[in-house]
Amino acid sequence: MSLRLTPLAASLVLLLLAVPATAVDHNNIDARRPLSFDDAASLAFREQALEFGMNLGWLRRRPLGLALDAEYLYGFQRNSHLSIGFEPSFGGRIGDRDTRPDFGDVSLGLFHNFNRQHGNTPAFALRADAVAPAGRNSRGAAFRLRGIATRQAGQFGRVHLNVDLQGNPSAARDEREFHPGLVLGYTRPLGYPTQFTTTGLAELSVRAGEKRGAGSVLGIGVGVRKQVAVRSVFDFGFQSDIAVGGGVQRNRIRLVVGYSYGF
Amino acid sequence: MERTTRTIAALALVLSCGVRVSYGEAADLPGGPPPPAAVAGSAARPLPPVPGNLPAWIRNTKTNHIFYRRGRYNFDTYNIGPLAKDLNAVAVGHAMAYEDLVTGKAAGLETRTFARIDRVLKTPPRFMPDEAAISPTFARKYGVLEQVFDWTHILHAQTVDVLASTQLTEAEKDREIERLWKYYFETVPYAVTPLPLNMAYLYSQPYSQAFRKQYPKVNGLFWGYHWLQGTMYDALYRVPLDWQKRVYEVVGERYHKTELYKTDRPFMPMFAEVSPRFASRFPHIANAFDNLHMLHDMVNDILATEWMTQHQRAEQIQRAIWLVSAEAHRDEKPGVSSADRAHDHRHFVGMPGMGMMQGMTPELMWMPEMGWMSMSDCHHCSMPLWEGPDAWRNPTISAGGWAMRVRCALCARDMSAETKGRALLQIPTEDPYRMLVVLSDEQGNLTGSMPGAVFVEMEGSHTGCDEWSRAFTSRAALDAYVKANPRLAGAKALGFDDWAKREGQKPDTYVQPRGSVENPYQPQDAPRK
Repeated sequence: MSLRLTPLAASLVLLLLAVPATAVDHNNIDARRPLSFDDAASLAFREQALEFGMNLGWLRRRPLGLALDAEYLYGFQRNSHLSIGFEPSFGGRIGDRDTRPDFGDVSLGLFHNFNRQHGNTPAFALRADAVAPAGRNSRGAAFRLRGIATRQAGQFGRVHLNVDLQGNPSAARDEREFHPGLVLGYTRPLGYPTQFTTTGLAELSVRAGEKRGAGSVLGIGVGVRKQVAVRSVFDFGFQSDIAVGGGVQRNRIRLVVGYSYGF
Repeated sequence: MERTTRTIAALALVLSCGVRVSYGEAADLPGGPPPPAAVAGSAARPLPPVPGNLPAWIRNTKTNHIFYRRGRYNFDTYNIGPLAKDLNAVAVGHAMAYEDLVTGKAAGLETRTFARIDRVLKTPPRFMPDEAAISPTFARKYGVLEQVFDWTHILHAQTVDVLASTQLTEAEKDREIERLWKYYFETVPYAVTPLPLNMAYLYSQPYSQAFRKQYPKVNGLFWGYHWLQGTMYDALYRVPLDWQKRVYEVVGERYHKTELYKTDRPFMPMFAEVSPRFASRFPHIANAFDNLHMLHDMVNDILATEWMTQHQRAEQIQRAIWLVSAEAHRDEKPGVSSADRAHDHRHFVGMPGMGMMQGMTPELMWMPEMGWMSMSDCHHCSMPLWEGPDAWRNPTISAGGWAMRVRCALCARDMSAETKGRALLQIPTEDPYRMLVVLSDEQGNLTGSMPGAVFVEMEGSHTGCDEWSRAFTSRAALDAYVKANPRLAGAKALGFDDWAKREGQKPDTYVQPRGSVENPYQPQDAPRK
């Protein structure tokens, strides 16, 4: 009897692996946990984390979609970490008519924090990901670049500006080779000064549609990260595309749930 | 594409305006508003110059977060839940006070801030909070100071993790604590020096005592935290987990009811005053923690000094960091005096883990309510304590917020009987890794941690009490000791209950040491004749 690792089984394996791990601190914000922006802080030197999440998306005129993601991060030197991520999915998904289970692409990332916030200078960081086309309909290697600035806003809030550029030189003829994006995130501890376990998040984003000639997508999101154990954080959030240009599929609402564990 | 680009450009413009507004709000913060109105008579004083050759790290703008040294004991402090929570609250207390000091809320420090902190101390958080999230303005203004604090707090946390571990033997704990020190000391350039520093010098800067004078209640909290952070070491060292929990019931009660709210301490609690066993075994760590706590005091005073400009504050904080840094004292040795008091590394005789204090000499130390004492002699019979590699043989008694080393089991028991309130006795046995822990209740009833413990007590002159009064883990160990010491031939083996009921004679060797003045913290005291 041969043993085949289906996408579902692979995802479950990833899920089980991920359960005992992810970012230790509810106040340290990583993309997709639960919203799409990063803060400018890297993992601590020698820290490791496993982050696991899933999101349910309701695309317009498409079947319900379930996407999973798992990421391992390692602080390999001061102010820098490496990451490797997986993004299997099931059902309807943006940019693809296929609804069969898909292992998704595999990404290898490097994150570097240049400085902490000091005086009026924000904290700056750069994140670069190389994406290997492991997915069912993926075409060629791609990359993602993200510049990040984080700054105190008011006494306890922080704003996070993420400037993105995604590129795929092997994109299909009807797809863009490069598409930019911008995310403005805001985070603030909730429950202060009596509770110290929760951070609230909100974002406003705009990104170019994937198809050539398509308009842009304006999205919003809100979420919460809550410390649930000494080393683990639970997160959940909602995202929605509130306005889309012509020829762009709209994700009406997406529920994101995740769990992170640092070690 | 054009439409997309326009949309993104428009949004970017809107967002950047928003960001600029946010930046504008925060731009007022550097330096912060001035502290409350100057107290009468507080005039500007000359400040010591900042050394011109400070290393680059003292001005670094990196984040530099470093993770715990990995070990199977990580986060085991949570084995003693109430202690872990109290330590979490300490982090909140520090952060709230600092944030209010630098954001123009200093006028409410003794009222609103105190109440806010006190509420957290009474209902402590389940998990260690991110201090930078509670004091973001302070972290932004004094990032390097925050790095020094954080890094040494990690050493605090990890050493307690080791002590609370049930997976390490006592010998492994000793070795791991040394490895943690090495990790702490070698990983970053901003470790705090392990050498004893002259506390009298560090606490006699032009700005010294500003904080305690203006904010006595919040200063009391800070010193209460430092009392806990010192006391917990002897409370846990060589004590099994079930008894660590029982011991912490006593320590925690004292902390919450008394130590947090004391406003009459003449000086911050020193590590060796509350954990002499650990300070004797790991003097470098005790010194580093005292030096860190002194850095806290210096920073508090600088931030509370109204006649200093923001620039002067930033400079003096840099200088304070430098004064306690390991790099400033590279190649210097413990025990060595210097004409430059910043490099005076003398310590008390018999206690390498404690630097010189105001008006004291290496031979004589002074403590509130206890008076003058020698740290190399028994506090009950005045005979010399065990020293060097044998220092583990000294029992200790902790009561009333202090801890004293004594020479024998009898001295520990009888001294506890003379003490009001609950007491903790820690009595070594023949096995360096097995300590008899004894709790004394309000009525003086003793409860021991080792059901099979037996004692020899052939009372005579205290010149030999370290021989004739000892505790053993078993009858066999006692018999072997008696056999090897013919002078004890015929000694009766006492069970714990019999031993606990006894009361010895007043020691024939006791001498009350006398210092040059009654109280070195009251300079108006006339010198003794």
